[in-house]
Amino acid sequence: MRLRLFTYSFLTVLILLAVAAQTASAQALDISSGGLPTITGTVGGSVTGNATVTGDLVVTINFGEVSPLNTNSVVKVVVPIALRSNQPYQVAVSMSGLTNANSEALQASDVGFGLQNPRLLGGAGQICTQSTHIIRSPFNNDPATSATIAASGRVAYPSSLASLSGSTVILSGPELSKNNSAKRQNSDGWVFDAVFALTPQFFVSGVSSATLIFTISPGPNVPC
Amino acid sequence: MPRLTKSLLLTILLLVVSAVTCFGQSTTGTVTMSATVSKFVEINSGGSVTLTGNSGGGVTTDGVLNSPLAVSINLGELGPSNTNNFVTASVPLKLRSNAGYVLSMSATVTSSGTTSNRISAADVGFGLGTISRTGTGVNTTGTDTNATSGDPTLAANGSVNGTSGRYEFTAVRSNLSAFSSATTALNGSFIMNAVPRSNSNGLTVPAFFAIKPQFFENGTTTISVTFTVTAP
Repeated sequence: MRLRLFTYSFLTVLILLAVAAQTASAQALDISSGGLPTITGTVGGSVTGNATVTGDLVVTINFGEVSPLNTNSVVKVVVPIALRSNQPYQVAVSMSGLTNANSEALQASDVGFGLQNPRLLGGAGQICTQSTHIIRSPFNNDPATSATIAASGRVAYPSSLASLSGSTVILSGPELSKNNSAKRQNSDGWVFDAVFALTPQFFVSGVSSATLIFTISPGPNVPC
Repeated sequence: MPRLTKSLLLTILLLVVSAVTCFGQSTTGTVTMSATVSKFVEINSGGSVTLTGNSGGGVTTDGVLNSPLAVSINLGELGPSNTNNFVTASVPLKLRSNAGYVLSMSATVTSSGTTSNRISAADVGFGLGTISRTGTGVNTTGTDTNATSGDPTLAANGSVNGTSGRYEFTAVRSNLSAFSSATTALNGSFIMNAVPRSNSNGLTVPAFFAIKPQFFENGTTTISVTFTVTAP
């Protein structure tokens, strides 16, 4: 009798824990691939990533040759990013790498970075009427079309990788998903395009690399 | 096992599986990127050719600023009927690079004459003039080394041979005989800062070619010069 009571008590606790875990996970915020990334204007470059919106956001960009040997006006990469949440969210980006000591070598400021084209990811994406998704300043631009020539003659962008300082919030807004699905679906969020632009210039020769980490987390408490 | 226990265990299993499935979601994504910058050098025309002291002849194909260098010049009469001191052609060159550069030159001189009095490579004076690094985007603090002696018509660069009476360009690399094979004429540090190719500035330098009209053997002479810029 005692054993049975203990067993049922133990099972009840397990149920409660499992329910709690399931509930907590259902509240999760999620970032994933928003589709296949694209690259234009490259010479010898490429971009790889998950073609499906249920795949992880793991993108590898090779801009290729960015000396004047590349006669294209700009190398542009568009990386669709899918976001899901049933609560207000924010997306932050942090960068590592790209620390060339020579100022005439490729710098973080030479890689334009903006966020564009927010769109629903299918019918289960949440349309909020009381709050909007806000692309934080200065990232609301297409760096490939908004580049200018600075007084030094070097190309400048309204926002670039140099605009990232530590973990920098680039986007925030109300909940993104209608459903309370515990797993990624093909139609339950929003997609944004992260746009990267690199204009071929007389940079000092060498190979440069950087890593960006996009993180979604609970954001400012705004109504839907 | 009692049915209730089985049901409870099944429920727990499903909830746990469901919870685990949630972990398929992620709060982070990664974008890694790389780019390559190769050494780049180019030579283009620095503008129009200037021909002076000529009798007849003219610039057949002129240089066009910032276009590939392809110039053709008819130096005209080079015999004593041309009473000018020198026939001189100044060909502007424009160099651009993102790395240290070497400008080399090779030249061939062929004449229809058959004697030692025909025009030879040594009779064609050559030198590079003042080097200019100016304009937005140009590495104005860069340095250059001119391996030639400059304007070959300068008095310091040539004179009449006291024995033969022939005029000779005597200074270091002051005539085309020094460039029978590819030979460095100029070298220096990187020319352009990090600016796009559409920036048309660069390093400009005039290449001087000069011939002293003399009692050369009659005939026609063809001079062919090739400039090559590299980034070693």
